[in-house]
Amino acid sequence: MTIVFQPKPSRPAPSNVVGPAAWLRQNLFKDIPNTLMTILGLYIAVTVVGWVLNWAVFNAVWDADNRRECLDMVGRSGACWPGVAKWLPNMIYGLYPKDQVWRINLGFLALIVWMIPLWMGGVKSKVAIGLSAVLLYPFLASYFFLGGSKGVVWSALIALGLSGFVWVWATAICERVTGLSVGEWIGRRFAGATEDVKQKRVRQIAALLLFLVCYGVVSQWSLPGVRTQLWGGLFLTLVISGIGITFSLPAGILLALGRRSNMPVISLLSTLFIELFRSVPLITILFMFNTMLPLFLPEGTSVNQLVRAIVAVCLFAAAYMAEVIRGGLQAIPKGQYEAAASLGLGYWQTTTQVIMPQALKIMIPTIVGNFIGLFKDTTLVSIIGLFDLMNMARAVGEDSDWLGLFIEPFFVVSLIYFVFCFAMSSYSIGLERKLSAGRDR
Amino acid sequence: MRFIAITSCALMLGAGAPAFAQATLATVQERGMLNCQVGLPTPGFYALADDGTWSGIDVDMCRAVSAAIFGDPDMVEYQSVTSAVRFTSLANSESDMLSRTTTWTAVRDTQLGLDFTAVNFYDGQGFLVPADSGITSALELDGATICVLTGTTTELNLADYFRANGMSFTPVTNENVNVLVETYLGGGCDAYTNDKSGLAARRSAFPDPSAHIILPETVSKEPLGPVVRQGDDAWANLVRWVIYGMMNAEELGVTSENVAEMTASADPNIARLLGTEGNIGEGLGLSADFMVNVLTAVGNYGEVYERHIGVNTPIGIPRDGTLNALWTEGGIMYAPPFR
Repeated sequence: MTIVFQPKPSRPAPSNVVGPAAWLRQNLFKDIPNTLMTILGLYIAVTVVGWVLNWAVFNAVWDADNRRECLDMVGRSGACWPGVAKWLPNMIYGLYPKDQVWRINLGFLALIVWMIPLWMGGVKSKVAIGLSAVLLYPFLASYFFLGGSKGVVWSALIALGLSGFVWVWATAICERVTGLSVGEWIGRRFAGATEDVKQKRVRQIAALLLFLVCYGVVSQWSLPGVRTQLWGGLFLTLVISGIGITFSLPAGILLALGRRSNMPVISLLSTLFIELFRSVPLITILFMFNTMLPLFLPEGTSVNQLVRAIVAVCLFAAAYMAEVIRGGLQAIPKGQYEAAASLGLGYWQTTTQVIMPQALKIMIPTIVGNFIGLFKDTTLVSIIGLFDLMNMARAVGEDSDWLGLFIEPFFVVSLIYFVFCFAMSSYSIGLERKLSAGRDR
Repeated sequence: MRFIAITSCALMLGAGAPAFAQATLATVQERGMLNCQVGLPTPGFYALADDGTWSGIDVDMCRAVSAAIFGDPDMVEYQSVTSAVRFTSLANSESDMLSRTTTWTAVRDTQLGLDFTAVNFYDGQGFLVPADSGITSALELDGATICVLTGTTTELNLADYFRANGMSFTPVTNENVNVLVETYLGGGCDAYTNDKSGLAARRSAFPDPSAHIILPETVSKEPLGPVVRQGDDAWANLVRWVIYGMMNAEELGVTSENVAEMTASADPNIARLLGTEGNIGEGLGLSADFMVNVLTAVGNYGEVYERHIGVNTPIGIPRDGTLNALWTEGGIMYAPPFR
C-alpha cells in the first residue's frame, strides 16, 4: 500500500489580516495618530453631511407661495425650495418663451441621437459621423433655437443639417446590418456590384434626392423667431461652452502647429495671437468685445451680443488649448519624427498619423481639464449682462416674492455644475483607460 | 505721419460724433423697438418675474416712452446690464435710454457724454442697524464695521460722511447685495448702508423685519432718473416730457382709468396734456395724443409709484410727506407746465 502524501488543507488566514475587521484595523486604526485622524475625519464628515441634510431636506420647506411664508415656518434653519422650483424652468431655459421650450429639448435630443452611432459597435464611419456632428448639426440646432424667417440659402443650410442627420443614421444602420457603407450599399443595390461609374452616379443621385427631400421638409417648417436676448440659463451656458469647446480643440491644434512651424510668418502670427489672448484675462476680453467693438464698427452695423461673447470665449479658449497641445507635442520624442521621416511620410502625414494620435492621448487629462475650466469660465458672461445659469440664479433672490433667496439657487447651480463637470471628467478617465490599454498591459 | 493723422482724425470723428448720427427717434421707429437699458434685477425698480416679464417704476418709464412712440407699451427690448458697463453701453448706441436708478451727478452729466432727463425718484443713503444694538443715530456709528456695495456712489458717500464727522469705520465690501445682506444678518457687520429704498426693500425680506431699524439720517442726495446720450436734444426732450407728462397727469387727476373720459374735459390744462387742444406732441415728433397712450398703458406718476414701490407692495416705501410726493402735497415732484 502506497502512502500518498495528503497535504492538510491550508488553514484560513488569521482573522487579524483578512476580512473587514482587519481592513479597518490596517487602514483606519493602525496606531494612535491614525485612529485620531479617523475619528476626527468621521466627526467632520458626519457634522457637515448632517448639517447639509438637515438644511436641505429635513428642515426644508417644500410648499410655500413666497419667502415670507418659508421664513415664518422654519426661519433660516431650513432651505426654501418652492422659490427655486418656481424659477427652475428659467434657470434651465432662460427667458425663452415657455411654449417654445420643446425646441431646445428637441435640439439637444437631436445632438444626442446624432452621437449615439459613435458608441455603437460595427459602425465604421465614426470619423465622418463625428465630423458631421461638428459641421452640420449647428445649422439644424441654430434653426431650432433661433427660428424666424429663412431665405433660400439659410433653408439650404438647414436642409444640409437635416440630411446629415438622416445620413448618419442610415450609415449606422446600414453598416451594422450589411457591413457596407450606405453609399456602397445603395450603389450595389441599384447599379450592380461591378459597375463603378454607374455606382458613383447612383450615389450622387441618392445624395441629391436626400437633400431635395430634406429641403422640402425644411421649407414646411415654420418656427416663430426667438431673439437671443431671451436665451439664458443652463441652455445658454451649454451653447456658449459647447461652441467654445468644439472650436477650441481644432483651432488650438492649428495654432500649436503654427507656433512650432518653421515658416517664420505663420509661427510669428500664431505666437502673437496665443500670447495676446493668453496674457489678458477672459473678463477683459469679454468687456473688449462687448463694449469696445461696437465703437470701432461703422455706424449702423451691429453684431449680436451673444455672438460677441461666443467669439471672445472661442478665441480665448483656443489660445489656451494651443499651449496645452504644444506641451503634448513637445513630449513626443524626436525619434518619432525621424522614424516617420525615414518611412517617407511628409509633414501632414507625420502629424496626423504619427504625432497627433500619441500627443492627444497623453494630453487627454489636460485637455478635459481645460474643457471643464472653460465650462465654468462661461459664468463670466453674466458680467456683460447675459443671463446664463449663474445670473439666473442671482435673479431668483431679486424676485419680490423670493427676495433674498440666494443660497438655495446657488446650491442647485453648484449641483448642476458638479453633474456636468463630473460627467466630463469621468468620461475622460474612461477614455484614458481605453486608449492606454496597449501600454498598461 | 500724415496718414496716421488723417486716420486718427477719422477715428475720432467716427467715435465722438453722435450729432452726425441718425436721430434716435428715427432709429427707434425704424427698428420698431425701444432698446431700454435696466440693471440686474432689483425689486420695485426693475424686477424680473419668473415668467420673464420686467416690471418696476424704472421699467414703467421705458414702457411709457414706448407707448408714446408706438402707442404700445410693450415694444421694448430690455437690456439688463451690470452697472460697470452701463454708460459704455449707452455711449456706443446699444441702448437708446437707460432707466435704472442712476444718480444724477455733475461729473456724470458733464464728463461722460450723458444727458439726465428728469428725476423719477428721490433717494438718499441711509443705514440699517439691528434694533437691539441701541444705536439710534448714524453719529453713534464711530468705529463700526459697515457693509457696503462696491463700485457705487454709496461707497464714496459713506467715506465722505464719516470723514466729515471725524469718525472712523471698517468697510466690508462686496458687489452682490445678497452676500452683503447675509453678512449683515450673520453679524459680520454692525450696519448695512445703501439707498433707503433699497434698505426698506431688503428689510422686508428679513426673517424678523421689526428687529432692524433704518437710522433717521440721510447722508446723501440721490436723484434717480432716466438718462440718454448727449447730443440728441430732441430725444432727451421726448423722454423728459413723457415723464413730466405723467407727473402733470397726476397733478391734474388724470389716471389710467379716467383718461378716456378726461379727453372730453373742459379744463384747458387737461386738454393740452391729452392733445385735444394745441399740439405739444408735434414738437416732440409724436402724435398729439401721445399722453393718452402713455396714461392708458402705464398710468400717471402716482399710479406707477403705488403699483411698484408704494405702501401696498412688499417694498412698501411710503410716499406721503417725502420728497417723492407732488409739490402740492409737500414733496418736490414738480413738473414744468404742459403748455
